[in-house]
This record gives sequence, C-alpha cells and structure tokens, in this order.
Amino acid sequence: MVSPTSTTSGGFDQPRPHEAEGMSYYPVLSAPGCKGWVGLSNFSPNNWEIRRRQSLLINVTWASNGMWITKNLGVLAPGACKTITASDVADIVPADVLPLLSLTLTPPVAQSEVLPRLDTAQTSIPAWRATLGLSSSSAQTSYQGELDAFPLQASLLTFGPFLQFGEGIKNHLILLNVENSSASRSAELEIYDAAGLKLRGRFPVSSNAANSIPLERLGFASGDLPLFICRGMAAIPLYFSSAMDGAYLSLEHTHPPASLVVHGRRWQAQKLLKNRWFAKASS
Amino acid sequence: MIAQKLQRIRRAVWSWRQPLTHLPTLENAPISDLFVWRSSHEWQTFFELIDIPSLFEDDTLPRHVSLVFFDSSGRRLFKRNVDLQANRRQTLDISSMVGRSYGEKGTFAAFHSKTPSAITHLGSFLAERGYASYCYRDAPLRAYVHGNLDAVAQGPDGGLQLLGGTSFLRRQYSLQHELLPGVVYEFGLVNPTSSVQRITFKLISVPSGRIISAEVENVPSGGIRLVVVPVDESSSVRLVIESHLVMARPLVFRIQNFKLDVFHG
Repeated sequence: MVSPTSTTSGGFDQPRPHEAEGMSYYPVLSAPGCKGWVGLSNFSPNNWEIRRRQSLLINVTWASNGMWITKNLGVLAPGACKTITASDVADIVPADVLPLLSLTLTPPVAQSEVLPRLDTAQTSIPAWRATLGLSSSSAQTSYQGELDAFPLQASLLTFGPFLQFGEGIKNHLILLNVENSSASRSAELEIYDAAGLKLRGRFPVSSNAANSIPLERLGFASGDLPLFICRGMAAIPLYFSSAMDGAYLSLEHTHPPASLVVHGRRWQAQKLLKNRWFAKASS
Repeated sequence: MIAQKLQRIRRAVWSWRQPLTHLPTLENAPISDLFVWRSSHEWQTFFELIDIPSLFEDDTLPRHVSLVFFDSSGRRLFKRNVDLQANRRQTLDISSMVGRSYGEKGTFAAFHSKTPSAITHLGSFLAERGYASYCYRDAPLRAYVHGNLDAVAQGPDGGLQLLGGTSFLRRQYSLQHELLPGVVYEFGLVNPTSSVQRITFKLISVPSGRIISAEVENVPSGGIRLVVVPVDESSSVRLVIESHLVMARPLVFRIQNFKLDVFHG
C-alpha cells in the first residue's frame, strides 16, 4: 500500500497493501455464535484480465510456533465453486488460530517463516475474491473479499457507523489482520466517540487473527460516531451484528480514510486525516 | 520481448481511454455513488450520513448534504437538503423520504455542500461512498452494504455529470459467488454512464458450464435494473453480466427463509 493504512476487501475499493503478485488469502472468519466459511470460485471475475482456465489447488495456511504452515485441501476444477467451512479445517488448523485459504497453480511452500507468496491468478478490476461468510443455525451473512499481508508499520483509523440498537441486538467489531511474519504480536485498539473524543475503551489486539471486540458495554448511542484507532497495527474493520440469538445477522466493513476522496493525491489525504485524528486523540 | 509487447497491446484494447470513472470537469465538484433505494411494504432503505468535511477540518460553519433522488429510469425526482452534524452519525430513513409514489426502487446521491481546502489542494475530490442498509420484512436487524463507485458529480448550479466509463468491447463481469437452489437472489445494477447500456444477465450452470438463461435489459443512463433470480435448478449456478460497462459490479440481495444478506459483487 502506498502509505501505511487500513484496507478493506474488494480490490477495487482501494489498492492492495502491497503490489506483490497474487498474494490474496481468504480468511475463515469467526464471530460469537457463528461459524465461518469461505466460498471459493475458480473462474475469473472478468473475461479480459485472465483467460486461461486451469485447475487450482485449494490450500489452508496458518501460523504455528513461529512458522506459517500450509496444507493442501484438494483441487478446484475450472469453472467450479467450493465452500470450505471452519469445520472442514477444524482437524487441521488448531482452535483459535486464523485459517487462511488460498487458490494456487503450484503448491505453496509447506513451512515458512514468512507468509508464502502465492503462485496464483490475479486480477485488478476487480480483485479475484471469495465470499467470506458467517453462519448461525438459521441465518448467514457475507461479503466479497480477500486479505493481503499488512506492513508492520501500518496503522488503522476508521469511523464505524454500523452499530445497531434494539432488544437482543449484539454488535462486535472484528479486526482482521495478517502480516508476513508468523510471529504473533500485540497492539492496542482505542475506541472513541468522535464527537468530543471521549475514550470508550482500549482493547489488546493480535496480529494474524480475527480479533472480536464486543461493543455493547461502551455506552454508544444511536447518534454517536465510533472512532477506531490502532496506532501499531493495520486491520480490516468488520462490523458484525446479530439479533434474536443469531436468527438475523449483518456483516460489513468500513472504508479506510482514503476512500473519502478520489483522484489526485488521495493517499496524502489519508495521511493528513490520520495525523489529524491521531494527534486529536492523544491530546 | 515480443510476447510482452503483444500482451501490452492486448491489455491496451481493454484499458486505453477506458477509465472506470472519469474525472469531473469541474474542480471542487462533490462526487457520490448512486446508492440503491428500495421502498415497499417489504423493503426499507436507510443511509448512514456522516459529516465528511468535519473529519478534515474544524470549523463552525453550517454544512449540509444534498440528497438527490432518481427513479429506476434515472429521472431526477427531487432534492432534499439535510443539515450535517460534525462528528456525529445520522441514520436517514430513505424509504420515508422517497415514499411510495415513485415506484419500488431507484437511486440516490449524496453531495456534500463543502469540500475542505485540504482535499482541493491535493487535486482530489470529496467522495460519498458511504453505507446503506436495508430492512426486509420488518426484520429486527438491518443488513449493511458499502458504496463502491464514484458515479456522479454535482456542479455549482446543481447540474449532474455521470462519471462511469465505458468499454470499446463488450466485457463480462462474473460474480464470484455460487448461487444455490432454494435461495432468491436479486441483482441491482446501476448504469453510471451517460448513455443507455444494453446489459445481458446470464445464468450459467456451475457443474456443466452451460448457459441456463440470458436476460437482456436496456438500462437508461443513471438508471437501475433489479433482476430477480430464484434459483430453481437442482444444482448451483453463477451469474455473468455482459455489457459495455468497465465493471458491471452488481449489488446482491440474497434472501433465504425470508432473511436478507446484502453485499456488493
């Protein structure tokens, strides 16, 4: 990415964290009361960036004891779709570890200190994505996305107007991070009310993880604009809401600040906004 | 070397003078996505309004956003100004604003009244690509989806400029999502270009690769088509959209057991 920042899914939404070829992974999400799944597709999102049709290997990669471990889960034929659930990888990937799926032409390195570079097809309009979903026993929610490694020096600033209110409604922020290093590190998430910058909470977050943070007890009201800052780590900020014990679900991500402007030196605008709000929240 | 040149030429056929979005002709022009509204006894639409300029600068001048509503044919219906609240969130009930007189679907844009000088100095434009949410059948929870396109700019006289780019050749957009039997899918596609677009929605069997159906729609400039696809096949299918749009990225409403999931393709 041009400047250290948060990013979101969607490829078109903003440039990738770095421009290395074919580096996208597809995380199997997790959230309270729900199980994650990924819908993989072996066909290009358009007919002009990639024309070849080839079988692709389905892989799962996870961090363990200072190494990235990768195992093959099978083959996806050209034109085919396959859904991989958390249960499908439960016997392979340790509990509480983020499974990262990928599609590649050749097998990724089985063990590596850095996140394996993937030999895979890539597109940019839009990025080659998967459906990333969460399911309860009676509902599901999803978005089209992918995940690329964030630089170590990156940070997060985002405004999240997704909290929903009502009887039995629960809101969580899911901070999704992956870095090249398999070593887990920690940072602190600060949550403010953007008006008045009242600090509502601080939470430890980890790299290479889907950090789930409950937002219920922070005292936000329907007109408040939550501000999320993580000075030591970038992440995709996902907002997950559930009602009636999972009978209804919602999941979406917010944009990084660069998406508030277009054309010109928009990444400078993001830097400006980050400097401004990081300073305001420190004073 | 020759292979690389050939590849560059091949790519140029699809990219030369075919931007995804055009630059507004007017400096400082605010830009907005064309968000989809739905309004009926089953559907409600909401929009999360944030004072974007206040995120960039502290000043006490009153600011507003102009919401401009369009019907499904892209005809401008009316404009409504809403005062902004610095560093606050306003959840607007778009369905109530539209009412039931203009059909059950259309689009709307949100133009901020002021562009901070910090943005102008960077040669950039303020863009509203924010967050809409939909409530289906009075569910206790709304389903959120973000904006994804810099579709329309507003001039100082209120005139509008559609920014969507077109392709010389027809191109395909394949939704990387498996459509399952027993689920109802509704695909919303907005035409952000200044000309009518002929758009083909194809359903393709995932196991066999054969085309199951092809529906052709002429979508007026600034208009929207909502294509309803109940997947009746015994096996899964996928969607391919063929058009002159550079990226015909649909909004996907997925309804299963009367429960809604919505996301961008």
